[in-house]
Amino acid sequence: MSERRGGGGRRTVVRLEGVALCYRLAKQRHVSIKEFAIHWMKRALIYEKLWALRGVDLHVLAGERLGIIGRNGAGKSSLLKVVSGVLKPTEGRVETRGHLAPILELGTGFDYELTGLENIYLNALLLGRTRREIDERVADVVAFSELGDFIHSPIRNYSSGMIARLGFSIATAWVPDVLILDEVLAVGDAHFIAKSRQRLAELRAAGTALLLVSHDLDSVRETCDRCVWIDGGRVAAEGPTDEVVERYRAATAAEDAPPAAAAGR
Amino acid sequence: MSLNAVLRYRDLVLYLVLRDLKVRYRRSSIGFAWTMLQPLLSMLVLSLVFAHIFRFEIDNYAVYALAGLLFWNFFSQSIVTSMNSLRANAGLLTKLPVPKVVFPLSTVLAGLINLMLAMVPLFVILIVTGHPLRPSLLFLPVAIFVATLFTFGAGLLLAPLAAFFSDIVELVGVLLTLAMYMTPVFYPMDIIPESLRWAVRFNPLRSILEVFRDPIYYGKVPPVTHLAVAVGISLVAVAIGAFAFRRSSDRIAFYV
Repeated sequence: MSERRGGGGRRTVVRLEGVALCYRLAKQRHVSIKEFAIHWMKRALIYEKLWALRGVDLHVLAGERLGIIGRNGAGKSSLLKVVSGVLKPTEGRVETRGHLAPILELGTGFDYELTGLENIYLNALLLGRTRREIDERVADVVAFSELGDFIHSPIRNYSSGMIARLGFSIATAWVPDVLILDEVLAVGDAHFIAKSRQRLAELRAAGTALLLVSHDLDSVRETCDRCVWIDGGRVAAEGPTDEVVERYRAATAAEDAPPAAAAGR
Repeated sequence: MSLNAVLRYRDLVLYLVLRDLKVRYRRSSIGFAWTMLQPLLSMLVLSLVFAHIFRFEIDNYAVYALAGLLFWNFFSQSIVTSMNSLRANAGLLTKLPVPKVVFPLSTVLAGLINLMLAMVPLFVILIVTGHPLRPSLLFLPVAIFVATLFTFGAGLLLAPLAAFFSDIVELVGVLLTLAMYMTPVFYPMDIIPESLRWAVRFNPLRSILEVFRDPIYYGKVPPVTHLAVAVGISLVAVAIGAFAFRRSSDRIAFYV
């Protein structure tokens, strides 16, 4: 991947070129061998394809904070899955540089029967940390999460806000090159949101790129320098956050006509 | 599925192995003892049926059968758990960029630890039945390594298939029964009619099993030719398994 491009010669940490992602519809999965054999012979008939992403180009520089907005089902989460390497694109190229810390869903990589402390280990191991690295940071994670004595009780007793706090504390305990958040901060309380903003600013200073999916347009505005609006699996608009958010607002308002202020849903 | 990625995630593999063992033993009240007891009880049943009712002409049948069973349990259980490992961890591998090979790898390693535990009663039986303890037993780690390689290879080949088609798990269950009867796990080679013996002789599982059983039962290091064949088979199995897993690894997250 090239080192060039962008202000101050910052390097590219995420590059997508012509990315398309195709899901085969649910009835195609979990097929039995018999079904498969039948379908295989008349393959063309049964592969009903759903293109979640089409022709997406994207560059993200170190330290950049990119907001990703769009309606439900527009392809935002698929985009994050492709960037984080969970799904391989059907077409196009994805290159990322350095360590990724994705939180694609609240509570991913947690075992609800284990305590918060045990989950710090499990989750960080799943993010590719070694036990030794975790030993060094576990106290910081506990402190940042502000879970107090709850850290010793199974997380099935946690509220969703507490789980979000723990997940965020783990993913940001090390400085990742790319931090990927899918709507996971929305459940936090005001205090923790302020605190996580603070941490995001620190990470940015250290060079972490942030990819943030959110329906909370004001929070995208406050957090992100640049924004991508995804519609129908394609990039509908890209540019400075204020501009893109305005265009997106205008478009949704026009579509939802009479009851106007259905902000961004 | 690069080797580097697996090395990076080595502590995760260790964690998954320990979790596998804990889950396996938490549910039973006598815990780890069960791993040792189960093959012993199977051996008693086999001894009763084959040494006393069908009267196999084989000295110290208990040791012969137990050694066979230990290998077979390790192989078949590891295959089945490998096949289930991707679906069982679907929630993780569709949300996190974890190298998928850690799941079948950790199940085979957990099976290996179970095999080690099950070796304890084998040694007790060796001593109790007065079976000669020869230096050839020192060869066992090599034999176990060969068996593990072969099993891991087979698991790598079958795990993605099981993720794509859930029927494969049932099918392989039946095939494993067939394979067990085609492998001299609990019977001696010479009871097989001459005309059918080739089917058993060319069974790759037999080569792996004999490399494992020779040092225990016959008290000898396997002949170099046998060992070379078994090592060759294991390497081929791992190569095919790694190739198949690598080819299909990108599609797994779409199917589990």
